[in-house]
Amino acid sequence: MAPIKSSRRGFLEVILGGGVLATLGAVVYPVIRYIIPPAAGEAKLSQLKLPFTRADIEADPKKAKYFKYGRNLGIIYLTEKNELRALAATCTHLDCTVQHRPDLGIIWCSCHNGRYDLDGNNISGPPPRPLERYAVKETDDVILVSRENA
Amino acid sequence: MFSRVLAVSIMIVALSLVGLPALAADNCQTCHFEFEDEDGASHKFVRDIHGQKGLGCVDCHGGDPSLDDMDEVRREKDYRGVPSHLEVPRFCARCHSDAAYMHEYNPSLPTDQLEKYKTSVHGQRLFNNRDDKVANCISCHTVHEIGDAKMPHSSTHPVNLIATCGKCHSDADYMAGYGIGTGQVDDYVVSVHGVALLERNDLGAPACNDCHGNHGAAPPGVTSLSAVCGNCHAIEAGLFNTSPHEPAFAANDFPMCETCHSNHKILKPDDSMVGTHHEAVCAECHASDDGTRAFAIAGTISEALSRLVTAHGQAGEVLSEAIEKGMMTTDEEFRFKEVDQALIQARTMVHAFDADSVLSRTGPGILKADSVRVNSAALIDEYHFRRKGLGFATLFITILVVALYIKIRRIDRGLNE
Repeated sequence: MAPIKSSRRGFLEVILGGGVLATLGAVVYPVIRYIIPPAAGEAKLSQLKLPFTRADIEADPKKAKYFKYGRNLGIIYLTEKNELRALAATCTHLDCTVQHRPDLGIIWCSCHNGRYDLDGNNISGPPPRPLERYAVKETDDVILVSRENA
Repeated sequence: MFSRVLAVSIMIVALSLVGLPALAADNCQTCHFEFEDEDGASHKFVRDIHGQKGLGCVDCHGGDPSLDDMDEVRREKDYRGVPSHLEVPRFCARCHSDAAYMHEYNPSLPTDQLEKYKTSVHGQRLFNNRDDKVANCISCHTVHEIGDAKMPHSSTHPVNLIATCGKCHSDADYMAGYGIGTGQVDDYVVSVHGVALLERNDLGAPACNDCHGNHGAAPPGVTSLSAVCGNCHAIEAGLFNTSPHEPAFAANDFPMCETCHSNHKILKPDDSMVGTHHEAVCAECHASDDGTRAFAIAGTISEALSRLVTAHGQAGEVLSEAIEKGMMTTDEEFRFKEVDQALIQARTMVHAFDADSVLSRTGPGILKADSVRVNSAALIDEYHFRRKGLGFATLFITILVVALYIKIRRIDRGLNE
């Protein structure tokens, strides 16, 4: 009977040891997954550092660059007075992407010829309301964008 | 007599309360209000923009508002009374063409309505043919209930304008003899513009006046259609004007947008409009043996659109499932918007009638859609992995608890022995 008892105990020890290890794994694995950031994280919506500089915007033929702001698209552009301004880039009419038209001095939606002034106010065409305006801060070569009302 | 004085007194108090002091001192309004019912001019005039601006009956009809005898009023030398249908445009223009006068009330209001009206089909028939059935000012703006077009109750507010024009243009008996159909309103209400304006309340959608003009209302000519539709559909008009269709349409007097999209009944364009099948619009003019490359180009464009639509649909379906499962889909939702844009752009590029232009949008769009689909599928796999992981973790912990229980019992039993 002794070997049977011994093998039962051994089996229990294995189960106990394995159970502790597996439980530790079940606790530690999600912790490690949590600590290692995902390949591309969600933008910190309160303030976003843009992955380009003023020089990049100046070099663009339309004096504008798009950026990802959370799950939305933003546009930053250079005005005639050399000021940087940023707006949500999704037209308030039917969600097309707007573009900077330095030749006309407006933000333009090509889908239905919707027009906004450089402050994002809808001035002509079908857009029913202004584009959301983002605050822009420039320090050295870094451009920071944030929601104005945040 | 007492009841009349009482009624007049009540009227004055009531009008003072609604902020119309100018009307309160107006004998015309006071008396007419008493004997007219709610549909009467004096009752309606309370809602009229002229009444709200402080104008009274006398400002249009002349006479002396201090008199309380109508016969005496009619004898006044500047009494103008009620104008005939043919007189109305000049009757209104007495003020509305006077820039200095209008400046006192609304400096931004144009004062060229009469001049524009003279160029309209309505105005030309009224002045040249003395046609007293065609629309004059009050046909559209109503009488005594005239409202700013921005006011929701106004007959010229975009949402109400369709019915305003339809009052005459949908009446087959009234329109008999003019040689134009009466189905415009019925066609418009089912059109993409009508649905947007009347069902979705999208005030950006065009009403009758946006294409035909308002005071200068006339059908757009064949050559001006590009400018009319191009007011909103600028890119499409630009692409068309540089496409091989432009000279061909001009040579055959085909109206540019209308030939494929119709006029009042412009339905939401469908990808099946392009292609070589018998329902495609292209096939109405082109055939494989017409000596042009058009048929082959139409086939290529149709196939490219179809591939992008399929890729877009598949990506959207997988992404929706990932969103539903609560995964972090921010990046994929962002990329999917790019696929949406690619589809919009590809459909727009159809108006260049050039396969390469469309392929330049569908190619990258399909790649992005595939990427969204694969990444979203990976997120769904991750969801299932987590579910299985949770199941295993629960199992491990349960086994551990059971084993611990047995172990503790053993230890207890050993101690007792």
